[in-house]
Amino acid sequence: MPKQVLVTGLGIVSGIGISVQETLASLLAVKSGVGVLKYLQTNHKDIPCSEVQLSDLQMRTMLSIPDSVPMNRTSLLGILAAKNALANANIIPDRALRIGFISGTTVGGMEKSEQYYKDFLENDKYNEYIKIHDCGACTEIIADYFGGFSYVSTISTACSSAANAIVLGSNLIKQGILDCVVAGGTECLTKFHLNGFKTLMILDKVQCRPFDANRAGLNLGEGAAYIVLESEESIKSRNAKVLCKVSGYGNACDAYHQTASSPDGKGAALAMQYALDMSGLIPSDIDYINAHGTGTTNNDESEGVAIMNVFGITIPPVSSTKAFTGHTTSASGSVEAIISILAMQEGFLPPNLNFKNQIEKLSFAPVSELRQNVKINHVMSNSFGFGGNNTAIIFSKLQEIK
Amino acid sequence: MEALISELKEEIIKVLNLEGVKPEDIDNDAPLFGDGLGLDSIDALELIVLLEKNYGIKLEDPGKGREIFGSINTFAKYISENQKK
Amino acid sequence: MSIYIQGIGNISIQNTFNQTGFPEPVWYNEPYVRCIDPDFKPFISPNESRRMSKVIKRAIASAKASITDSGIEMPDAIISGTGLGCIADTEKFLSAMIDNDEKFLQPTFFIQSTHNTISSQIAINLKCHGHNNTFVHGGISFECALTEALLLFAGNKVKTALVGGYDEMTPSYFRLLDRISFWKKEIASSAELNLSNTIGTLAGEGSVSVMLSDKKNEKTYAAIDALEVLYKPENFETAIKDFLIRNGKTTRDIDLIVLGMNGDVKGDEIYKTTAANLFENKAQAWYKHLSGEYFSSSGFGLWFAANCIKYRMLPKYTALNSKSVGEFQNVLLLNHYQNKNYSLILLSAC
Repeated sequence: MPKQVLVTGLGIVSGIGISVQETLASLLAVKSGVGVLKYLQTNHKDIPCSEVQLSDLQMRTMLSIPDSVPMNRTSLLGILAAKNALANANIIPDRALRIGFISGTTVGGMEKSEQYYKDFLENDKYNEYIKIHDCGACTEIIADYFGGFSYVSTISTACSSAANAIVLGSNLIKQGILDCVVAGGTECLTKFHLNGFKTLMILDKVQCRPFDANRAGLNLGEGAAYIVLESEESIKSRNAKVLCKVSGYGNACDAYHQTASSPDGKGAALAMQYALDMSGLIPSDIDYINAHGTGTTNNDESEGVAIMNVFGITIPPVSSTKAFTGHTTSASGSVEAIISILAMQEGFLPPNLNFKNQIEKLSFAPVSELRQNVKINHVMSNSFGFGGNNTAIIFSKLQEIK
Repeated sequence: MEALISELKEEIIKVLNLEGVKPEDIDNDAPLFGDGLGLDSIDALELIVLLEKNYGIKLEDPGKGREIFGSINTFAKYISENQKK
Repeated sequence: MSIYIQGIGNISIQNTFNQTGFPEPVWYNEPYVRCIDPDFKPFISPNESRRMSKVIKRAIASAKASITDSGIEMPDAIISGTGLGCIADTEKFLSAMIDNDEKFLQPTFFIQSTHNTISSQIAINLKCHGHNNTFVHGGISFECALTEALLLFAGNKVKTALVGGYDEMTPSYFRLLDRISFWKKEIASSAELNLSNTIGTLAGEGSVSVMLSDKKNEKTYAAIDALEVLYKPENFETAIKDFLIRNGKTTRDIDLIVLGMNGDVKGDEIYKTTAANLFENKAQAWYKHLSGEYFSSSGFGLWFAANCIKYRMLPKYTALNSKSVGEFQNVLLLNHYQNKNYSLILLSAC
């Protein structure tokens, strides 16, 4: 009998809040975090994005990290979210616990590197920042803030990174290698990827409109989110409170194009099917899909077709919450996992904002208004990254597992 | 127009890194995308950057790209009609 | 559960590509060396190749070489480990962004810059819809990728997997790492990299693709019996002993230890003390004087150890002592990155 993977803690910071409570309040108040850039220094201030409403200095103060310690925004966001997750789970990392930390990021320390790059090449002024440019170094900054982790790793698969971190964490627990894993991702806004997405011409000039026939692109966001995954034995030994279960997951590659998804969404469909197969659930068991739904012409149609192919005539309520948080790229898998779990716990369907007209090719429209008092036993969260990296995760309420 | 066409071919080869392709290999009326030169959506984005950087023409709607970049001739015609620099 | 190494493709600063066994070593007398590249045309069409940086071309070529070597046409999973990802394209986009004040930027460099471009380009090339992942965790990236592959095998999710370690070292990044004392200032000969008693090492780069299977056959190089990745272990020697015990072995059972020594006098200390304390009477070898150091160089280490086992030979220029290897039955690879991340890989002959 394979081991169960249970969720015992959540921690999230994004443009809609710096805690789980704030995030929930924003979702229920239908309050988006997409707006005018305040913290990122760029020539493209006209591009609407969702920023975490904290300066680096404010985060350093909250975390008691002195100015003298080299730090980047990705790591600061990550520490904040991980701290909340650990507190929520009531865990202090300790080697005796066999606890791991797996974080997804793509920008890593780029937010500082892009400011200091000329100096990196020409002088020794910012050498400390050369050391913390790469993704792994940023993850270690977060892990070292707490100490006690015996396994630390970094996944970088663009927009599915955090979801893949949750998958890896689950596999490590199932195989009995670790008792507990803090898994998720972190990504701050950088000029690098803001300009990068701009060159792809997939940024909307206004708040994004996922699944709308007239959608014109995505809004970038930043954030960090981690969930605490734990084995049954570990939970029993410390009498921990269980929030829900990871009942299934799947990863598949579209293998079609570096940035575009295939018209039939093959990779996405496979990922969702694998997640269903692992969970032992059938499509009609899923009560809500938190879609990847970036708002780009390509993704939403491709994902929609994939959902139709997997769910047939039993398509559950679907919404994208990216008009709330923006597309938090490497963190989106865990940001949206937490939103999915909150929806399930509190019994509501987060609305897909700015939806007016159904995409012609799709047989369904997303949930466009907040719906409360909804019974949700099983929720699926989709995260699809550049390079056709597709991951789907199903979270379930405990008593409803077959 | 001759000079523009010649310049355009050199620029396209350079920006899209079309190794082994010479300007004389590109037929002025042949399709640039799909079967012709085999360019794809990423190349279309590169040509949009080229259009703005070299000729001062800003294309807001990437969808129009396929039409404008249909062939060297349609591309050159669009530039000569819209060039600001 | 043992997993078998069925095929390997290796592009490095040695003549390792499409070679059987150990090629004649090439020694260098400078601290920065680039790969000896094959002609990529047989592996990648011109239309695809035009966008690809070296790290991607090498990954595809080495992946295809591992397919030919193993006879396994389509892996169930593709998992890569890379410390810097597609750094050349990252630098191109970043420099242009800075120099042109965020104007007229080329999308190709951005698209190709994400770390997982390598894994996904291999998948697109092979049309592989299987599990796909990329680990970017400094000098332990390859071992992280291998860890995930072994988890998938253990969970019966895959029967085959392509695991790779891919890194390119651009001149700019060499300069950056030089500022933080990664490299030696000068090298008399890389053959004696470990004798200089100075900090720093030789900068290399490489691309190693390993095709794994849950079944062995006549092509099998070796079995991977166990792997552990540790973060800041309290005591490395205790960790090694515990690891071996958990896998039904003791230090006495090991015929050969392969150390990730790289000539940095500080970083190499732990290898020397560990080898002296636990494996004094065992054959000891190293490989980073051949591969140079780069974030996923432990992939080269796996190629090296696998070939030692397959051909029952230890090249003289890799031996650190004169102890006999015996039966080449059990080989232990030890690697660390910055004395924080450690890996232990136990291989055996089949």
